Amino acid sequence: MIQADAAVPAVSGAPSSGRVEPLGADALREMHFFLRLAREWDLRFERLVRVGSVSKWYSSVGNEGITVAAATAIEAGDALVTLHRDSGAILRYYLDPAQLFPDWFVPPSRRTLQADSRELLYRLACQMLGRTDGFSGGRERSYHYSHLARDAGILHVGMISHLGAMIPVAAGLALALQREGSDRVAINFIGEGGTSTGDFHEGLNMAAVLKVPFVLVIENNGYAFSTPASEQYASASLAERGAAYGIPGVRVDGCDALAVYAEVAQAVARARRGAGPTLIEAIVGRMRGHSEGDDSLQLLTPEERKRNEASDPLLRFEELLLTRGVATRARMGEVGEACRNLVLEVVDRALASPQPDAAGPPRSVYAD
Amino acid sequence: MRTETSPLETVTYIDAVARALRDEMRRDSKVFILGQDVAEYGGAFKVTQGFIEEFGANRVVNTPISESGTLGMAIGAALLGHRPIVEMQFADFISCGFNQIVNVAAKMYWRTGSSVPLVIRCPTGGGGGGGAFHSQCVEAWFLHTPGLKVVAPAWPGDAYDLLRASIRDPNPVLYFEHKHLYRRVKEPRANFERLAAAEPRLGGARVVREGSHVTVIAYGWMVHHAADAAALLEAEGVSTEVVDLRVLAPLDEATILKSVRKTGKALLVHEACLTAGFGAELAARIADQAFEHLDGPVRRVAYPDTPVPYNRALELTSIPSVERIAEAIRELRRW
Repeated sequence: MIQADAAVPAVSGAPSSGRVEPLGADALREMHFFLRLAREWDLRFERLVRVGSVSKWYSSVGNEGITVAAATAIEAGDALVTLHRDSGAILRYYLDPAQLFPDWFVPPSRRTLQADSRELLYRLACQMLGRTDGFSGGRERSYHYSHLARDAGILHVGMISHLGAMIPVAAGLALALQREGSDRVAINFIGEGGTSTGDFHEGLNMAAVLKVPFVLVIENNGYAFSTPASEQYASASLAERGAAYGIPGVRVDGCDALAVYAEVAQAVARARRGAGPTLIEAIVGRMRGHSEGDDSLQLLTPEERKRNEASDPLLRFEELLLTRGVATRARMGEVGEACRNLVLEVVDRALASPQPDAAGPPRSVYAD
Repeated sequence: MRTETSPLETVTYIDAVARALRDEMRRDSKVFILGQDVAEYGGAFKVTQGFIEEFGANRVVNTPISESGTLGMAIGAALLGHRPIVEMQFADFISCGFNQIVNVAAKMYWRTGSSVPLVIRCPTGGGGGGGAFHSQCVEAWFLHTPGLKVVAPAWPGDAYDLLRASIRDPNPVLYFEHKHLYRRVKEPRANFERLAAAEPRLGGARVVREGSHVTVIAYGWMVHHAADAAALLEAEGVSTEVVDLRVLAPLDEATILKSVRKTGKALLVHEACLTAGFGAELAARIADQAFEHLDGPVRRVAYPDTPVPYNRALELTSIPSVERIAEAIRELRRW
């Protein structure tokens, strides 16, 4: 694992200013709920890939501290562009915990989607399983879909397999929001391997030149499939690339959800006030291989794996809540149980849902 | 083919392109232009000259030399209902943005149900001594990709009408405007008043010259060479029908087949390289669906399978000429 406190500056480029308000107790409990829900979501699909219900799974386990925290910094009407380790961001963006568990959560003060959370979760499960009720109706796998429902405040664009390609697209969503004169922003994730693409450079450079409201979060887990970061780039950090584009570049411990939230919230605030994009590099330890069923996790030494397990962002966050007296272990246990049951229920419903009609008329490649 | 009216009463091909852009930008505030040197400078060919003064910097946006970045950003904006038009400085440079076109834009609607109303303007083709990287005809790269529309007008009126239709279309459209035709072909201004009043339509081949012995199918610049060859052969008693494809994808198969069934002879002409060019696809379709009507082989006249040479004489020898096309028609007639 790359240490976030390595001998490189944590911040490069233009200094960012204006601290964000720390999250209150309700918001911390919400964040815990999403960290746990995202974990349960992936654990469920990791099991389903073993029994063949899904053909492939790229696990988000270990990345939740980045993705949940980053999506906590955005609201309905902001645009989200995700890759395949970003289930935490999607769940956080889609769902209103007060809808799902009204006894535990109060309606949030942030702008929420005008959508039924349970139904969105069901459709997401159908999407993972390639069913008719999934967002792509079975045409596309897992997170390779888009869900654009602007009336509901949903502007979610998924990935294509070519890494880096979505960075300019996400910057283009930001351009559209800028052209509309709104204060909404676009946020996009990329792995450290994806930063080696031409589209990373073109997208980030153009976003900076056109000063669009854009936040790019690098999830640096030290490996792209089998390729270690040392064979991916020669600079001491990726955050320092920000300076080259004339934008802030920030490095943060991706296992510390609160630290990620603080940096992303600041970047979002900066984008909202028209000051342009920010590059954030979040460092995490790899807790899973490239995809379930390959042996790429074996590349890590036993010590490295142990260290990564020990810095599990979910466990760290639970310790933090205990220390701060925001939640009891018993309550967090109940939340975990509720998340597990919710995922089970929704995924079971999706497993029983209709398959696409292979004999039906194919969708046209052209929109009408 | 040129009209015999005075310049004031005519519109050139390049003016037709500019006029379509201006009319659509006036009509719909969601339409905006992205490209290299398109703002104050007015574009490499001056198509958008004066646009920034009329529409402002928010709608005529200069970009860095980043074809992929520009196309990706245009796709993002299109996903939110904006109507970006990307100007490739030359069609050749589109290769730098290939992935955004064939994998992001082309597949988006089918994969996700979200449409991408995007127009990519591609100044295309040779004849100007531009060499290997400013002269290519690259449409076949994209005709092999489902989900893209591909347009190649030959006449100012079509350049105007098809560009307006492309901008209103909810799909990614590659619009190949031929540089050689920019200032060489003209049409009466009155035609444009009529076109402007009507709803533009993206589709349909057109028979630009009727004939009974041989069908020549072409698009872009080569329509003019085909029409000139047909005129030449009239004196020899050969009656040639010329079909201008106008839109290559989606293809108007009916018009092609109707003509080939009538004449029984098909000659396919394009300025792009021969191998795996669009002529190969047309030949396959004709063989498949009009076989019993054919009275001879389906022939092709195309660019040789080489890059475009710089030297003018070398270049002009390679581009299908009126004489080469005429000779191919004669051969088919004799078959």
